[in-house]
Amino acid sequence: MSDENLPFPNADKAELLLVGNQYEDFEIGQVFEHHWGRTLNSGDNAQFSYLTLHFNPNYFNAEYAKANGHEKIVVNPLLVFNTVLGMSVEDLSERGGPFLGINELTHHAFVYEGDTIVARSTVLDKRESQSNPDVGIVTWHTQGFNQRDELVIDYKRSNIVAKSGKRAKI
Amino acid sequence: MSKAASVQGSRYFEDFSVGDIYKHFRGKTVKENDAVTICNMVLNSASGHFNDDLMSGTAIGESIVYGGVTISMVIGLAAQDTASNAIRELGMDNIKLLSPVKHGDTLYAYSEVLDTADDEQGGVVTFRHYGVNQKDKLVFQGERRVLLKKRGA
Repeated sequence: MSDENLPFPNADKAELLLVGNQYEDFEIGQVFEHHWGRTLNSGDNAQFSYLTLHFNPNYFNAEYAKANGHEKIVVNPLLVFNTVLGMSVEDLSERGGPFLGINELTHHAFVYEGDTIVARSTVLDKRESQSNPDVGIVTWHTQGFNQRDELVIDYKRSNIVAKSGKRAKI
Repeated sequence: MSKAASVQGSRYFEDFSVGDIYKHFRGKTVKENDAVTICNMVLNSASGHFNDDLMSGTAIGESIVYGGVTISMVIGLAAQDTASNAIRELGMDNIKLLSPVKHGDTLYAYSEVLDTADDEQGGVVTFRHYGVNQKDKLVFQGERRVLLKKRGA
């Protein structure tokens, strides 16, 4: 490429900093302690619940939550699920392909506004795709913990994961 | 108890019988405002959900809705009838994402009652929820267990 076609000098020499993993990178039993952690605040909880029309007052009415035995507003369990899954994406599925499904999900404890969630995953299974030699299917067991290291959620997730140098068909 | 503390949900444990199938009243068109906001809010870093340029080379040709949004939106559409009196959500199983959802697709929710069981705090209902798009195509199905209040409790 000639210099005048570049957005800035030496743009063609930039190294793409890859993140994430592909099918060959996963070994059964391998554990990932996922990045970031997320404090779930009241804005997150209200926004998630109203965008999804999830009308359980425990998630947005403090007086109702108190009358139902909670000291604070309860975080919508689907927001807890999505946040734990979201934090696992870079390690597990960002380079992968379609998200196929979830099995054996258990909500172990209430999460309250202001609680901080972290996530960990273990590789349970990997297998070749019967129909597409460019991809495999990987299953992980993912756990979410609060700031007291108490288990709040766990589930199994399966995804199509592209092999090295390949892309999954979408 | 204050009026704010004593608001009532719509359906209680006693209102559900095994074999019932419901279509929930509201559908929702899933736009970027919903799907990209939630995807980014929960730190889902997969570019396929928020980079149309990257996805222009695929058969779909644009970024697609994160599956967790599809699951949550369908359960949300079913929530007034099946979760507004929830004491606690217990779990989910056999969740299947069957077809991609694009920004601008409209989702409708159906629920089937698979099981009911008495509990000292209320009653546990197992639902199978179905998410269907504007072309009547099934995009999601999955089971959900929830502990619901009993009427008058």
